[in-house]
Amino acid sequence: MNIKARKIVGQILFILLAFYLDGLMKWAFLNNMNRGTVVILPQLMLMMIVMLTMRIDNRRQLIFYGIVFGVLYDSYYYGIIGLYTVLLPLLMVGIDHFKFLLVKNNMGYELSIYFLSLTFLQSGIYLLERLLQQTSASVFDFITYTLGPTLLWNIVVLFILYIPIANLSEWLVKYRRDNK
Amino acid sequence: MQKFFSNKKLIILMVLIIVTLGLLAVTVNIRDKKNTPPVVQQVGNDVVSVVGGVFAYPTNAVKNAISEFSDLYDTYSENKRLKSKIGELAQNQAKLEVVQDENKKLKQELKLNSTLTDYSTVNASVLSRSPSSWQSYLTINRGQTSGIKKNMPVMSGNGLIGRIVEVDKVSSKVELISTDNELNDKFAAEIAGSNNKNITGVVSRYDSASGDLVMENVNSTKDIKKGQSVITSGLGGLTPRGLYIGKVYGIKKDNYGMTNSVYITPAAELRNFTVVTVIKSSVSGER
Repeated sequence: MNIKARKIVGQILFILLAFYLDGLMKWAFLNNMNRGTVVILPQLMLMMIVMLTMRIDNRRQLIFYGIVFGVLYDSYYYGIIGLYTVLLPLLMVGIDHFKFLLVKNNMGYELSIYFLSLTFLQSGIYLLERLLQQTSASVFDFITYTLGPTLLWNIVVLFILYIPIANLSEWLVKYRRDNK
Repeated sequence: MQKFFSNKKLIILMVLIIVTLGLLAVTVNIRDKKNTPPVVQQVGNDVVSVVGGVFAYPTNAVKNAISEFSDLYDTYSENKRLKSKIGELAQNQAKLEVVQDENKKLKQELKLNSTLTDYSTVNASVLSRSPSSWQSYLTINRGQTSGIKKNMPVMSGNGLIGRIVEVDKVSSKVELISTDNELNDKFAAEIAGSNNKNITGVVSRYDSASGDLVMENVNSTKDIKKGQSVITSGLGGLTPRGLYIGKVYGIKKDNYGMTNSVYITPAAELRNFTVVTVIKSSVSGER
């Protein structure tokens, strides 16, 4: 296997790991079922995907990742297909389209891009579910009890894990062309 | 015509919207109306869940260890409380055995094969919980091959926690009773031990602010007291009679002051468990 294929396998493996961690984190640590109205949704896969999207230049590969992991996420966690499946590739193309504006990746940029994409994704899911009557939560409840806590938790986690995740995704994408 | 279709981005947007809404509508319909999702989705979910088991077992071990620590913390007071109940329990158990035996014999006499209270169980361990605010699903590692069907009730150690919403070959999804969902989350319930009077209703809502289940359409609220236990009534569907839901917490009028709803504190501590029990009723209802 050449180095490029190996890097791609590595990327897929780490996104998958983050995919499972989302469900397990929710199950093991953020599992408020009896009381409490605050809902925190761990979005580690999105974290991984945003960081990789900032570094991968191949748009076709990005769309492929978006659709594959979107379908997986929808089918395994949501039971209805069409939320992540559509929003994730859209988001990745959007980031890819505008990332030339950023001169150099740094923590501030990436945190704010993650913030924006998380907001976009969660609001998109809320709108679609509301449209299909999967939820009856009002907009204010959504913002106060779901979006707010989710954003806060995930931004803090990304802030803490920024250096390892950034180095990891750097390593997963960059390779020197001469050593095959 | 040429000009109308010349804007590529507009067409992409249009196709995207149609595909999104189409996909969503179709899958929501399948979930609500069919007993199982399409085979492709089943196989996909099964593969993901089998691989997920590798990550889930260590997580469950950690979770168990943590809950053991928190149990250890209030062992002393719990021990005191439990000691007082032990004597009573042994007596009850002896009585239960006699009554069960008698019940069996009487059923044979009447040639009753199975009644609403008969069920068998399947144990399953939890693989993950959906990171989603409105689909609070648990994924468990048993499916069609273990005889699980859609809409079967699911218990954890103490009480009812939800029902099966999606069945794949070797995994399935449980919708928690605490889901704020208008469509699915309804259990026919009755209040036990109320002087032979049959107080029935439907546990249809979850009040997320107080963490209580809400039982509506109650036929009479006259004799209900705080602390009475609420069980499933076995009327309709695949739920057998006698599954413990929780204790009565209070009665409130609805917003219009027309009907009374009974608020129930759920029995299942929905936090510290890693194994659930799926209840297979021996008598199937209409579905």
